[in-house]
Amino acid sequence: MSEPKQTDNDRVLIIPCSGIGKAFGSVGREAAYLVLEELRPDDTATVCLSLLTMGDEESQQRVREQRSIAIDGCPKACARVNIEHAGAEPAAIFRVFDVFRAHKELRVKQVSDIGENGREMARILAEEVAVKVDELRGGKE
Amino acid sequence: MPDLPEKKVGLIACSGEDLAVGTVSRMAVLQVLERLRPQETVTLCLPLFLAGEERERAFARFYPTIAIDGCSKRCAARATEKYSAQPAASLVIDDLIAQKGLPEPHGLRQLDAAGQAVAQAVANALAQEVDRLLGHKQPADIEVEAEGPGSEVEPEGLVVATCACGSGIPVAQLQVNGHQVEALALPAILDQFREMGKLANNATAGELMDAVKLYNHVPDDEAAAWHEAVLREYARTITAAGPAGNAD
Repeated sequence: MSEPKQTDNDRVLIIPCSGIGKAFGSVGREAAYLVLEELRPDDTATVCLSLLTMGDEESQQRVREQRSIAIDGCPKACARVNIEHAGAEPAAIFRVFDVFRAHKELRVKQVSDIGENGREMARILAEEVAVKVDELRGGKE
Repeated sequence: MPDLPEKKVGLIACSGEDLAVGTVSRMAVLQVLERLRPQETVTLCLPLFLAGEERERAFARFYPTIAIDGCSKRCAARATEKYSAQPAASLVIDDLIAQKGLPEPHGLRQLDAAGQAVAQAVANALAQEVDRLLGHKQPADIEVEAEGPGSEVEPEGLVVATCACGSGIPVAQLQVNGHQVEALALPAILDQFREMGKLANNATAGELMDAVKLYNHVPDDEAAAWHEAVLREYARTITAAGPAGNAD
């Protein structure tokens, strides 16, 4: 699988939280990669969230100039807050918990291996994000 | 001793979503947290340094912390130092790859075989560093081989990794010699003394300072000012909450 190209300023930035200690964080990251690598590889890109945390000028400029979608795994909303701190407003915000609320049968296994249920939850979330990407791309063209 | 999180080694991974070495950092840290040193390590999401509260930013001041970075931008090390405290150690995966002649990892969502091998090498290096920081004798010959994609067997005693957000270190601000200082663990210490029914006097202040010094560096030339400030804060705590237990 080739890694997504990030040269087109029209691409929508998909920015998941780092979520290293929460299973929902891993679901959000998986959902982001599904969008980036499978569902909308030509329409999306990402930036390292840690670069935004560090105030990296190039990354901050990208989130200010390109539309972004935040995917957060817990109420601390690190993705959204770090985007806002860079001086941008996410075009959309997705929370893994909202998917869980709608699909309570999907119990995620653990952070390092989200299991079948976690992958299913990520797929559902990724498809919702992909629809939003289409809306945003359609709205600009 | 106040009821505080156990002293462990903190691991902060860059998690770099845009780089294969970012995924390597994440997988290596999870390997240490869940399998190699589950009882000795704890983690925190790096962006929480900015998005979180003071208790999250106290992380590296309480836990000796290892920063694990994928690339030379060293976000984990720099963020830890900027928002919390200088990491006790740091590791850059690109450097480790060069030093050990490891293969270049590929893949963001799914690491290739080279990426998994590098993640394992990083995890092993981290486990050794954890032992060093905790003063443990380093067990020899315990390096774990990289698992292939088909490896489905979970080891016995698997611990599920969790982050320290929301369960971090309570922090209070004190006025010492006319400037504001941060006192780690002070709220928990004051609560504990109040529950023991300790009076707000000089003798108690001495005991309080013994506990405070376990978690904070108190310069010798500021010890008297800290003593006063802690006693003042304790008196305020008792007044606000009311006395508890039996007065001594």
